[in-house]
Amino acid sequence: MIIPDVEFCGYCITHPSESKINFRIQTRGGLPAVEPFRKGLNDLMGVCQHVLNTFERSMKEYRAQREEEMQ
Amino acid sequence: MGENGHSSWVFCWHVFQLSTYADLISCLPEVPTMAVEKVFVYNNTSIVQDEILAHRLGLIPIRADPRLFEYRNQGDEEGTEIDTLQFQLKIKCSRNPQAAKESSDPNELYFNHKVYSKHMTWVPLGNQTDLFPDADFRPVHDDILIALLRPGQEIDVLMHCVKGIGKDHAKFSPVATASYRLLPDITLLQPIEDEAAEMLQKCFSPGVIEIQNIKGKKVARVANARLDTFSREVFRHEGLKNLVRLARVRNHYIFSVESTGILPPDVLVSEAIKILMGKCQRFLNELDSVPME
Repeated sequence: MIIPDVEFCGYCITHPSESKINFRIQTRGGLPAVEPFRKGLNDLMGVCQHVLNTFERSMKEYRAQREEEMQ
Repeated sequence: MGENGHSSWVFCWHVFQLSTYADLISCLPEVPTMAVEKVFVYNNTSIVQDEILAHRLGLIPIRADPRLFEYRNQGDEEGTEIDTLQFQLKIKCSRNPQAAKESSDPNELYFNHKVYSKHMTWVPLGNQTDLFPDADFRPVHDDILIALLRPGQEIDVLMHCVKGIGKDHAKFSPVATASYRLLPDITLLQPIEDEAAEMLQKCFSPGVIEIQNIKGKKVARVANARLDTFSREVFRHEGLKNLVRLARVRNHYIFSVESTGILPPDVLVSEAIKILMGKCQRFLNELDSVPME
């Protein structure tokens, strides 16, 4: 997500044996860093929902098409 | 959309951002399934050791919709009807009295010398017969060879299946191979004719390059770039390497998901997307609950 107020966004894994990451977001202009994070998560949920809907719709169409071909 | 058999699907997506789709592939093994976790060995006189037998039984995919079951509580040794499926494997090998004297074929000499997954029978726990009246819980494949026996040897085990995810143990993974690639983009920079056209066709996977007969000359044309496996064979030929440009279409991903048969691949993908959404939701809830300065 390319948001102009975010100056830095990245993560690194502290140690491969541990399930932990260091996640850093740096914003400019006094914007609380939590906001782009929250927006990112919400957008990701939206993307997933859209993918799910599109996928299920295409599956229905495909199945309907196959049934027609079989008959 | 394309289908290869019942348990493997290939489908195409026009998408815009790569990172989400790599996450999708990594969420696929987190879709839960049921698999054998505990094996109670009553009798095992086969040459397969108890622990090896138990390991093999754990890896057998079980046809049971995991959404009908709950996870077992930590520390719960017994298991209840909502989180456990019980299977029994009881088989004894004996000699066939009717076999010909000189025969050396084990199929003729012995009964039950090959223990297959079809010999596993479901033993309903508690009220499971009422909960699942039409259910037919069994291994996905009937012909998985578990052990070999000889007369006098027998196996008598009881198995408990629980719900788990692939992150815990690979036996719980519902997906065999899942991968994605970008759609290849093959462009012919100049018209390629005659012998060069035939050589070009041989450089690519069958069906990618088509040779058409235009005004008596053979001309090559890119018919179906999707089939190409990107072997880059064309760059090994001096005469052809400058005439073709190989690239990838940036936004077009081709996903291939192969299921182990427990859940159909389309259900797998839908569930994986829901798991990804569940993870986002958990993070959002955490953000909201922890006060930030």
